[in-house]
Order: sequence, then structure tokens, then C-alpha cells
Amino acid sequence: RALLPARALPAGPGPCPRRGCGEAAALRAAGFSQEQARRLLALQPRLGPEQREAAAAQLLLLGLSAEAALALLERSPALLRLPTERLRERAEELRRLGLDGGRLERAVRRSPQLLHVPRKRLRAAVRLLRERCLFTAEQLREVLGTCPAVLQEEPRTLHHQFQYAYFRMGVQQKEMVKARLFQTPFAELRNRHIFLERRGLYETPHKGQTQISNPKLKDILQLPEEDFLASLAYSTPEEYEVFKKLLAREEEEKEEEDVDALYT
Amino acid sequence: EKWASTAPRIASTRLALHHFDTSYSLRLGALWPSVRAGLLCEQKYGALLNNFAAADHVPQELEPLNAADFVSEASQKAQQWQRGAAVGAVARGCQEGSGEGRTVMQAEMMAQAEMMAQAEMSPPLGASISSKIKCYTFPRGDITRFRPARPDSLGLLDYYLMDAASLLPVLALNVQPGDFVLDLCAAPGGKTLALLQTGFCGHLAANDISISRTKRLYQILHSYVPREVRDTVSVTSYDGRDWDQVKGGTFHKGAGAGSVLLQVLVDVPCTTDRHSATEEDNNIFHKRRTKERQMLPMLQLQLLMAGILAAKPGAEVVYSTCSLSPLQNECVVERALDIAEAQFNISIHVEDLSHFRTLFQETFSFFSDCRLGELVLPHLTANFGPMYFCKLRRM
Ligand SMILES: C[S@@+](CC[C@H](N)C(=O)[O-])C[C@H]1O[C@@H](n2cnc3c(N)ncnc32)[C@H](O)[C@@H]1O
Repeated sequence: RALLPARALPAGPGPCPRRGCGEAAALRAAGFSQEQARRLLALQPRLGPEQREAAAAQLLLLGLSAEAALALLERSPALLRLPTERLRERAEELRRLGLDGGRLERAVRRSPQLLHVPRKRLRAAVRLLRERCLFTAEQLREVLGTCPAVLQEEPRTLHHQFQYAYFRMGVQQKEMVKARLFQTPFAELRNRHIFLERRGLYETPHKGQTQISNPKLKDILQLPEEDFLASLAYSTPEEYEVFKKLLAREEEEKEEEDVDALYT
Repeated sequence: EKWASTAPRIASTRLALHHFDTSYSLRLGALWPSVRAGLLCEQKYGALLNNFAAADHVPQELEPLNAADFVSEASQKAQQWQRGAAVGAVARGCQEGSGEGRTVMQAEMMAQAEMMAQAEMSPPLGASISSKIKCYTFPRGDITRFRPARPDSLGLLDYYLMDAASLLPVLALNVQPGDFVLDLCAAPGGKTLALLQTGFCGHLAANDISISRTKRLYQILHSYVPREVRDTVSVTSYDGRDWDQVKGGTFHKGAGAGSVLLQVLVDVPCTTDRHSATEEDNNIFHKRRTKERQMLPMLQLQLLMAGILAAKPGAEVVYSTCSLSPLQNECVVERALDIAEAQFNISIHVEDLSHFRTLFQETFSFFSDCRLGELVLPHLTANFGPMYFCKLRRM
């Protein structure tokens, strides 16, 4: 197979400048293919060779495949600059929170920013989920595995979303986990719920009872919008678009009112 | 807290919704969820242009925002169709000979067929839309709000914000120049003001039993109508059910033996569905008001009867409510027809208003299954109403 002409390669180190050759060899020894090593070397070109190697190796140690580690670094090259010690510490912490094996890989792949979150923040989120939202250890593992981004959230935001689902919608923890509650932005959760509610298709349980049978949170949140409208809300995109605008304005004005009330 | 003891155990709005869920879901079927969401979301307004104020700036201000006067749009449409109906008749005659253009023409004609049928069926279509009333609304799906009304140099406000569907009963009551008009339940006065905008009312009697609400009516007249026009309006506070006893004689005399007709608008108190579903204040579904609520259809019937008796032969009576309830709408009208016939030997013709549906379908969402009269359904993309109206002609 003919080699690609040099000018087609990304700017940066040439096909094999003297400096790059040793590094490439080290990376290949760590398990990256030649092509992968080349891509890796193109990231953060001013970085020292040991740092690059160590960071990449650390990611492989987390259980990431070479391709996954590379993809991750290409998405957040800044990870390469993190001291390896720190990187390891954070990975350790995530593992301790229950993200082991494939889960950690998936989580980090989905939100590479996780490796940037300070330990204090991670712990606060976990404490909130365990102690205030009363998720069991098993449920917590599931939440972290499916919505690792919760670890980057402000605990206040998480708590708000939890309380909304728990009190306003009457949903239990088990259902929240199944529905991957925290994958949905709060505004969308509220849009879909209140839309159903105003259409008479969702009711807050009173002492565990409802007059109508509510759709499952999982369906409300996980169905694509088109299916949500057609099979749960019996509505049209035109109606839903207007509704979202109206609700946003309502909320905005309620907040203004609340602020006014504070000062009078 | 102080008010805790008097607060209802169950919110009246919840009682209202529960009631609506049971009865309207039967009546409206698959439409009910949409209507319900409409009731519970912000309603849309229309800006009724005040023809008595210097308000030339209003169209210039509103049209760039995409608002349009739905009344004149409808009357233009009506005129087009009437011309179309004439052309259609010609086209039908020479259809045979046409070659290439034929399918196109046929498709076009198909699309117009329904409208033309309407136009042919109801000849006074164009004329029936009083072109002097102008009301601006934002298009379907547009949630822009109107700014509050502003006074002109003489202090008259430039427009009146109201549920645009409230204009339909007024448009249905086809006031002609010099007509004597009775607005039996007039306060706070939105429809009274619209009636005056026609510029045709020879005299307008605006009555409402509630003194406090007639105060609001006076305020509206003062803020929108110049003195000389105000002088043609007489505001009273009678129980409308007694209209014939207290006023019948004098008014008929006032109306004179001439050709001026007495047109009557009977815009009755009702369960005001939108209000009942959203506001605790003054809610007719409050436990304490159960009796009053149950008596509404009877009160409505009596008011409509009073309206029918006040109308001279040939005159029109429009009955309207802002409820979706057939018990307060068609049933009341049907009972009134029976009673008029049986007890008073008055025969009444129910006028066909189905052309309203065709003319105004872009602005409002109509219910297509009313036995009698027309009903505007709230819908998120056109959140006006509910508004029921039915037009009767005394024979
Ligand atoms: C739907 S509101 C009328 C709204 C008014 N037409 C408008 O467009 O602004 C019904 C009115 O009927 C009045 N009313 C109730 N009972 C009445 C009666 N027995 N006689 C006359 N008016 C009555 C109420 O005070 C109320 O103002």
C-alpha cells in the first residue's frame, strides 16, 4: 500500500523527525499502534515525552482500551497535562465510588471531564445521593454508571431534580434509576411532566394513589420527542413547541414574582 | 395563619378540573387533552381597535410585529369566495373543453369547493362580517403579548384587550345602522364596547345586575367612548330576568313603531371554565357555591327567555357563554325554543353560523360537532375561548 503523501498529514512533527521516533517507540511499547502513536504525538506537541507516556499509560491502567484512551485524549487533550499522580488518585476515587471495570471506561468516555473533578466535589455529590436522596449503594452504582455526569453537578441542582421527581411526580428511587433521571436536563423533565399533567395524563399521587394510571418515568424521559408526543401525550409538535415557550415564560415570571416578594 | 381556617380543604380549581375531566372528556373525546392544556396555559388576547380614539398608529405599530386584524382578513376572504363562487359556476360550464390546465384547475376548484358551497349557501356572508370592528391578534403559535393600552391626546385609549373569541357573538349579532341593541348581561363591558365599535347602534341598553360590575362598565365607557356616543348608551342594573316587566314597554316604545329592530345579546353568567380551572378567587366551584352553580342553567334559560321576549319579530338574539358545557349551551337554547313555542307561541329560527367556522378557522379552533350554535375550543396554538354562541331569529 502506498504511503500517504506527507502534506496530507496533520501539521506538527513530520512523519519521523528525530525527536518523535523514540517517543513513538515508547508509546507502541505501551500498546498503541503506530497510527495511534502518531495521533497521540500530535496532541499537545510541546509536552515532555515522559508526561505524555505516563498519562497515556495511566489511562490504559484504568482499563481503557488504547483506542478509547486515545479518543478520550483527543477530546480532552488537557488531561495530558494533569500530573499522573492526580490522574491516578481520581481514577482510584471513581473506582471506589463504584465505577469499576467497564463502567469506569464508559463513564470516562461519556464525560471525560470526570477526571478533572476534584475529590471534594465528587464526594459531595455522592453524599447527597446517598444521604439526602436515599439511594441504596447498589442504586448509586447504577446512577453513576449510567449518568456519571452527576458527579460534576452542583449538589443543589441534583437535589432539586431529585425532589421534583420524588415529591412533585411521586416517583420512587428505583424508578428514577431505571429512567436515568439525571441524564435529562431539568427543564426537559419539567416540560414533559407538566405537559402531560395539564393534558390530564399525569397526576401527582396522593397517599400513593392516583385516579388515572401515570405513564412510567422511564417512558416519559427516554422516548424520543416524536414518540413521546405521539404515544404518551397524544399531541403534536406544534402544540408542544408553544407549550414550552409558554412554560418558560411562566417560570421566568414566577421567579421574578418570588424575588419581588422577597423585597416587600 | 389567619386565613387557614377559611381556606377550602380542596382547592376550587381542583374541583373544577375534576368536574371538567369527567364531563368534557366524554363530550370532546380525544380533543379533551388539548383543550385542557389550553385552559391551563396563558390565554391569548386580541386588541380591539378603538375607532373613537386617534389610533392610526396602532396598525403601523402592530403589523410589523406580525399581528393582523382577523375581522378584515375574514371579510376579504368572504368576498373572494363570493367572487370565486361566481367564477366557479362559469368554470363548471366550460370544464369539458380544457386541456393541459385542467387538472390544476380541478385541484384548485376542489380546494375551493367547500368554501364556495358555504358562500352559495349563506348569501350575506361578506355583509355579515361587520367591517368596522377591527381586532388584532398574533398568528397561530405566536405567544407575543400586546402592550397595555395607551391614551390618545384626548385621553381615549387606543385599544381594548380581550379574548378575541368574545368578538364572535358580537359579529354574529349583525347590527345594522340605527338598530336598537340590548346587552342584557353587559358588565364588565367588553362586548358592549365592541357593539359600539360598529358605529351602528342607534341606542344601546347595557344592563347588568351587579352594581360593582357596572362600575367597571362605566369606567370602560369613559376610557374608550366620547361623550356624544356615551349618551346613546343607557346603563341599568336590573335583574335581566325581569327585563320585560321593568323595561319592555318603554324600550319598545323607544324603539318606535318604525323599522328599527331590537337586537339582543344575552351573554350569560356561566361556569367561566378558564377562570374556574385556574383561579381560586371568586371560583364558582367553591364548595359553598354548589347550589348557585347547579342553578346556572335555569338562570341562563330565564335570561335567554327574557332576551327572546324583548326582541321584536324579525330581530336577532345571540346567546353566548364562555363554557364548554352542553348543559349551559345547546341544552339551554333547546329548552328556550320549546318554551317560546309552547308558552308564548313565538316561533324562532336558529340561524346557521357554520360559515363562521370557515371564515375564522385560521384564528380560532372550532368544535365541529355542536348540535346548535358554534363553539370555540381553547388550543395551545390558538388559545382563545372557550366561547359558545348561537344566533336565533324571532319570527
Ligand atoms: C359573562 S358575564 C358578561 C360579560 C360581558 N358581556 C362582557 O363581554 O364584558 C355575565 C354577567 O351577567 C351578570 N348577571 C348575572 N345574573 C344576572 C341577572 N339575573 N341579570 C342580569 N345580569 C346578570 C353578571 O353580573 C355578569 O356580569
